Amino acid sequence: MKRFFILSMVLLLLLAACSKGGNTSGDAAGDMPVDGTKGNSQDIQEGQNPADSQENQEVDQEKGYEFVFNGVTIAMHSKMEPILEKLGEPMEYFEAESCALPGMEKIYTYSGFEILTYEKEGVDYVLSVVILDDSVSTKEGIYLYSDLDSLIEKYGDDYTKELNTYKYESGQSQLVFLVEDDEITSIEYLATMEQ
Amino acid sequence: MNKKGIGLKIGTVCFLFITLWFLQKLLVPKYVTAIVEGSLIEEYYHEKTDHDVIFIGDCEVYENISPITLWEEYGITSFIRGGAQQLIWQSYYLLEETLKYEKPKVVVFNVLAMKYDEPQKEAYNRLNLDGMKLSKEKIKAVKASMMDDENLIEYIFPLLRYHSRWSELTSEDFKYLFKKDKISHNGYYMRVDVEPVKSIPKGRKLSNYQFGERSYYYLDRMVELCKENDIDLVLMKAPSIYPYWYDEWDEQMREYANKHDLMYINFLDLIDEIGIDYNVDTYDAGLHLNLYGAEKMAVYFGDILRKTYGLEDRRGDEEIKKVWDEKVEFYYSMKEKQLRELEEYGYLKSLGVEKRE
Repeated sequence: MKRFFILSMVLLLLLAACSKGGNTSGDAAGDMPVDGTKGNSQDIQEGQNPADSQENQEVDQEKGYEFVFNGVTIAMHSKMEPILEKLGEPMEYFEAESCALPGMEKIYTYSGFEILTYEKEGVDYVLSVVILDDSVSTKEGIYLYSDLDSLIEKYGDDYTKELNTYKYESGQSQLVFLVEDDEITSIEYLATMEQ
Repeated sequence: MNKKGIGLKIGTVCFLFITLWFLQKLLVPKYVTAIVEGSLIEEYYHEKTDHDVIFIGDCEVYENISPITLWEEYGITSFIRGGAQQLIWQSYYLLEETLKYEKPKVVVFNVLAMKYDEPQKEAYNRLNLDGMKLSKEKIKAVKASMMDDENLIEYIFPLLRYHSRWSELTSEDFKYLFKKDKISHNGYYMRVDVEPVKSIPKGRKLSNYQFGERSYYYLDRMVELCKENDIDLVLMKAPSIYPYWYDEWDEQMREYANKHDLMYINFLDLIDEIGIDYNVDTYDAGLHLNLYGAEKMAVYFGDILRKTYGLEDRRGDEEIKKVWDEKVEFYYSMKEKQLRELEEYGYLKSLGVEKRE
């Protein structure tokens, strides 16, 4: 009888110890905030080209791709506060609570680009930078409406492509170009998030 | 083995199961004072009477339409089986499960979920699935929803997922161990606070505007299921200004509705007709309507539903009226409570809402 009781207790303990640990509160704090376009624009298949261009090799693999505006460097996953101090007041600001879960999505619009942030433990970090017009360019010199050849020349052919999207990855960032009729129509820096 | 030995073994097994059941009850999040959206799905099981209209979908249904107003204005009985970022396969299986309990005349599905063609996040899965009773529909919904690192067994026995919550337990876990306070008004999540729209973000360019095959697969199944059960299916896009609803998406829904002879209403095109004022009718800058906006939506939409589908005014049915009188009372008492809270604290403390700066 004793053995049966002990076995039961062991089973209980096993149940308590098994399965995955980590966050269990259901709030998934620290995960990616719910973004309006996630799952549509960035679902890109793996590419096959291993070669890097010179420019691509120059990208700091730790920081990944960085956007630079008026001497202010904006890397993905950087804290937003010091960037905001340097850039000054945005032309427009939008914030929205994440649906049900804690955290706030924030969009800061400046002349020629906007910065989206995610919130983790009360601190805002850069989630994405979207170039809005051809008054600004990537650090490597690609503008909206540049042609595809310029893109490949600057960033090389180590991209993944799905439909008309070219995605480059470096560190914890992605640089995504949308190309229509041989012309770049969208440029977006994205922070790579763990699932 | 003697009788005493057998009795002890049975007693031990019973003790073991009761202990596990108790632990599960204790450790599973209660969703009463924070992330209350996690309570919405299970509240359906407490319903005593059937419904003319069932709403399914994401936050754009459970925060934008007031079933109490539908009742008060038109005598329409309705329930919102909505959940935060509810994916279309979750909506489908929730509908399948609902049809085991009742046959509504109309089902309304909010189409924003069409943009998600694959599971997104465990936390949202939990908010939509944990509240479902164990059934074959729940198992199918879980299988369709799981992320790579999730397991079916953890949905069947949530203790396996939440066992390490013991260090995060709060007074809420003990207070609501066996009985939870009612949160919603037939699935509607009430908010009386106001946060006006200040700016509207533009939609970012997408590489592909086509809704995914999986989304269409479940929409097709929804159409089929409603047809088999002689239910009118309505597709709606709620008047939420963010996340952005693209014209290309709208066109696809219009074409789909035409092809399948369904009603599709994009309420974003009808904001003035409904009378929504984004200075006063939203509590989060245009993502969701507050109580005043949800009531306006119900008045407008209810009239369409009543006229198009010939829904009867059921306020004359004494049995139903008695049930709904209680709901109406609860609705206005919560409204008063929230208004008092707003006056006292400046924000809705009881919902775990953070104070805005």
